[in-house]
Amino acid sequence: MSGYSLVRVSRLSLEGFAARAGMHPDLVRRLVTLGLLDAARDASGRLWFTSAQLRTAARIQRLRAGLPLNYAALGLVMDLLDRIEALEAALRERGGRIPETLPTPSVARCEE
Amino acid sequence: MARDYYEILGVSRSASAEEIQRAYRKLARTYHPDVNRDPGAEERFKEISEAYSVLSDPETRRRYDRFGPDFRQIPEGYEDYVAAGGAGRRGSPGGGGSRVWVDTGGGERFDVGGIDFDDLFGGLFGSRTRVGPIPGADHEAELELTVEDAYRGGRRRITLSGGRSPTSFEVSIPAGVVDGQRIRVPGRGGQGSAGGPPGDLYLVIRLAPHPRYRVEGRDIYVDLPLAPWEAALGASVPVLTPGGEAKVRVPAGSSTGRRLRLRGEGMPNPRGSPGDFYAEVKIMVPPRLSPRERELFEALARESAFDPRSGR
Repeated sequence: MSGYSLVRVSRLSLEGFAARAGMHPDLVRRLVTLGLLDAARDASGRLWFTSAQLRTAARIQRLRAGLPLNYAALGLVMDLLDRIEALEAALRERGGRIPETLPTPSVARCEE
Repeated sequence: MARDYYEILGVSRSASAEEIQRAYRKLARTYHPDVNRDPGAEERFKEISEAYSVLSDPETRRRYDRFGPDFRQIPEGYEDYVAAGGAGRRGSPGGGGSRVWVDTGGGERFDVGGIDFDDLFGGLFGSRTRVGPIPGADHEAELELTVEDAYRGGRRRITLSGGRSPTSFEVSIPAGVVDGQRIRVPGRGGQGSAGGPPGDLYLVIRLAPHPRYRVEGRDIYVDLPLAPWEAALGASVPVLTPGGEAKVRVPAGSSTGRRLRLRGEGMPNPRGSPGDFYAEVKIMVPPRLSPRERELFEALARESAFDPRSGR
């Protein structure tokens, strides 16, 4: 628990990112155009990704596979999920609880 | 023993295709692992998808009704059934990519088809798409700790009863976790598919109500019951803190509500200074007075000019 771990800033090329995400590079490029994935564009027009975007890519794939969402709906769903997450985090920070009317999380038990 | 598909979707055996689809859509929205972070949700979602993939197709539904859960083991040519259903079918009447999960018997579950990635992504760039591993979703569960456990931290064996089979694993809890804090447990979230890594589990700490301690942030408050003479004359009183017994010096003339601080005796902080411990003076009187006590209090009442209500 001591100290801080250094965060390695990894920059992934389009091909590297596509390989890590298990997607075709054309699909990755398309998702960037649709504003679903964030990427930086260098002077020569090449796309660069952070490894954090891999989580987003996974979420896109899970949502697409599990629910029949089109890309516009997918963007909306992801934005709303992000907002809910931020609101829940703010609520937690103030010691608040998620209302009981919403699905409440499972309870983990601690054994001695 | 697998649960009945109709039961999973909450519809009757005579439900229409429309009813089945409506039940499935509602449940899929509720239990999708990216929408519902409960560890049990993912398993429910798979069950729901499996039930729907079977019941949404009239042929497989008929076979399921006739042969029950083992219908996949019945050869497809059986009773003049011409191969048409099963996992190879593309698309579904609902237009959605439904998932077919097949139990191979070895305890492993395979996502074999139904989930039609050509349907999902194919429209973008022709028909051939490589389907890669998809990492699992993150899960979230609440973990209730006593104030003492939160104070001490340490390794704990955690049992998670979210899914159908409870899982158990060890977690290192940092000393001084506070209510609402999240602890990340790598790799204990949802399973990845096609070889993707599992997601993470986040344990949201909930401090159990404590009979004596009230915790606000990292500060801990307790009542400090004092006899009137201790409060008036001053005293040194033992108090129990989560870290052990400590002595509080009560200055003479402490009235109810006065907070006596033990600096740094609150919750530890792995990233900074610990919280403080506050003992709040609460003056108590004997419920019944002995004749001698009564005499002394009466003498004090006659002597004292103190009026706690003056200046109010």
